Amino acid sequence: MDTLLLARLQFAATASVHFLFVAVTLGLVTLLVGMQTAWVVTGNHRWERLTRFWGQLYVINYVLGIATGIVMEFQFGLNWSGLSRYVGNVFGAPLAIETLVAFFLESTFLGMWIFGWHRLRRGVHLALLYGVAITAYASAFWIMVANSWLQNPVGYEVRDGVAHLTDFPALLTNPALGMALGHVLSAALLTGGLLMAAISAWHLNRRTTDHALFRTSLRIGLVTAALAITLVQGFGFAQFGPVGGVQPTKFGGNPEADALIADWTARFGPGDYLPPALSNVGLGFMILIGFALGLLWLLVPLLWRDWIIRLRFPLWLLMLALPLPFVALILGWIAREVGRHPWVAYGLLPVDQAVSPVSPWLMASSLVGFTLLLGTLAVTNWVLLARHAARGAADPALGRRPAQPPADDSRPEPAFA
Amino acid sequence: MELAWYALLGLFFAGYLVLAGYDYGVGLLLAGDADVSRRRAALNAVGPFFLGNEVWLVAAAGILFGAFPVLEGELLAGSYPAVATALVGVILVTAGVQLRSRPGSGGARAAWDRVIVVGSLLAALGWGVVLAGLLQGVPLQADGHVAGVTHLFTPFAAATGLAVVALVVAHGASFLALRLPAVEGDRLRPLARRLLLTAIVAVGTAAVVGLFSDRVRAAAQRPAVGVLLAVLLVAALLAARVALGRRRLGVAFAATATALALPVLLVGATLWPYVLVSTVEPSASLTVADAAASGPTLRLLGWLTVPLLPALLGFQAMCVWIFRGRTDGRAPVYW
Ligand code: HEM
Repeated sequence: MDTLLLARLQFAATASVHFLFVAVTLGLVTLLVGMQTAWVVTGNHRWERLTRFWGQLYVINYVLGIATGIVMEFQFGLNWSGLSRYVGNVFGAPLAIETLVAFFLESTFLGMWIFGWHRLRRGVHLALLYGVAITAYASAFWIMVANSWLQNPVGYEVRDGVAHLTDFPALLTNPALGMALGHVLSAALLTGGLLMAAISAWHLNRRTTDHALFRTSLRIGLVTAALAITLVQGFGFAQFGPVGGVQPTKFGGNPEADALIADWTARFGPGDYLPPALSNVGLGFMILIGFALGLLWLLVPLLWRDWIIRLRFPLWLLMLALPLPFVALILGWIAREVGRHPWVAYGLLPVDQAVSPVSPWLMASSLVGFTLLLGTLAVTNWVLLARHAARGAADPALGRRPAQPPADDSRPEPAFA
Repeated sequence: MELAWYALLGLFFAGYLVLAGYDYGVGLLLAGDADVSRRRAALNAVGPFFLGNEVWLVAAAGILFGAFPVLEGELLAGSYPAVATALVGVILVTAGVQLRSRPGSGGARAAWDRVIVVGSLLAALGWGVVLAGLLQGVPLQADGHVAGVTHLFTPFAAATGLAVVALVVAHGASFLALRLPAVEGDRLRPLARRLLLTAIVAVGTAAVVGLFSDRVRAAAQRPAVGVLLAVLLVAALLAARVALGRRRLGVAFAATATALALPVLLVGATLWPYVLVSTVEPSASLTVADAAASGPTLRLLGWLTVPLLPALLGFQAMCVWIFRGRTDGRAPVYW
């Protein structure tokens, strides 16, 4: 067994699961901000119910985002101690900023938001959700700054084999950052919007109660998803230029790539400096999915006079399309991360120098243990999400009045809590 | 400058042990209570603070990575099994607390509660062993890497792990005595006092095992400080016990909180100026200054994050203020 391979597998597994959840977090929180704002501004009860129902799903989904996020953060030190040793001076900074100014506050705000219903003034409660959303976006920004630095190291100089920070603004203007950030953020919005549309479609198709409520969220979800897919495509194509420019080996052979490989061979010794085919296969399928989802625009005119609901088959289309953005998210990350192989930091730190010198057995147990744990939790979480989605908006636990006996409990529990 | 960052790292890790410590304590106490409504009441007493508590760990890890990258790699990889155990625990607690009330059936909740108990145990044990691992020195080689992980498995590490478990349980009980409705809180006082006694015994045992351990004696740069802080720790626990007896619940909680923060200070101060003391190659020992990131990085982090610290602490304080006092029939129930 090979420690390096095991460490890479573990990173891929954790990062994939993490991404599936945080994309939904980011997409849903954006829509929640809109709904709760509408509630506070109009005072309309319907918006409150929408906020509670989608907020409940958001909060359930959030759990796995944090759980996998914590594992990701510690994994750098556990499995990739070379990363912190050689490039930690530069790469660590955006990560530290992310945890302190974003993640820390996001969770603090969210705890207050969950328990603040009926307790805080409406304006304060809404402000907390804005806080959650802003810090969530800040989090995405700093993580992408860190990731883009690995894609294209800038703003550093190497002294005694260790990278030192020389120019922080260069990290923020990294050509690998801008379009990729736009691409990921709109992909998250697409995922959140489509999730909302598909769950609403399920309820409308089943003709469950709350027709009016789910009609509203279907419209919001579909329009959001349609706008987002256009952004995804735009930012996606816009990435080829800058990414191809800084990573000539990523998208297949060209003269620049050959020159770069010759240079690396001279400096780091001979080796296989082209990424595995997997990354370009991932890229291809992601783009296919991107075009397929572009067809969402065809459903938008059907919102007129509720044809989308009356015809029914569009509802089925939405439900069937739901897995697509999730698959594309994974494929996109494979394209981006596997595509920089064999480097942890492109052209600077090869993966085999970054991996921790721990025994393969230890790494294997860690891989199996964490993957099983997070995998089980992820599946459980999705089951819970599906159940709560199916249960409908009658009485979500989120935002329930403290005195009111919960309708979903088999026996009323809170004696005095 | 390195000292300031080291202190900040210590502050956040100690803050994590104090705050998440009572989460884990409450979690472990679920094991001793079969009454479903009392369990739910206990978890919702932690309620609004839960999410804000565990992020102190994330912040500490962020500072570790940003300001002490070399330490980050060697400490975590060099204490792999202990860190992994603690992480599994943290994740189980996170998921368990937030998801336990999402299923409708009592059976599923009971199962989640067991997950929380196990998670709390692993988290407390794991971090205890990590701290002990620092204090007993690590096999840091001349090439700067820690060799192997078997160095962790010593009586001292085991005793410290158990002591931290005992500390969090006592801390959790003192939190609940302060936070639950008066009648319920009062019911917990005798239990809390008994748990404090256990904690004193456990901490005392760990201290004695440490004093007899050659590795701990060799690694300690300032043994006197270490002994003094250990004595303070026991004193804090005794004070908590007395305060509980006199119904001074706020004082008792402050004392158990101090007891959870002290181990971090103890490790930092006893090893200073080192942070990783090598057991095999004295010249390979890593000082705090060597472990720190280079000047520009620390300056950048200082400019960007230090002005925000008041905001971070301020919003946490706001959370405590909004949800202050004992829980009652009007307190929201979600976990
Ligand atoms: C026409 C459609 C699309 C195009 C042209 C496109 C283009 C790209 C390109 C060129 C990359 C690679 C960047 C790199 O290697 O650094 C990428 C990455 C990625 N894509 Fe797409 N993409 C499309 C659709 C989608 C869709 C539908 C999703 C998911 C909902 C998605 C999610 C991602 C993600 C998560 C990444 C990795 C992160 C990043 O590069 O920012 N993409 N995409």
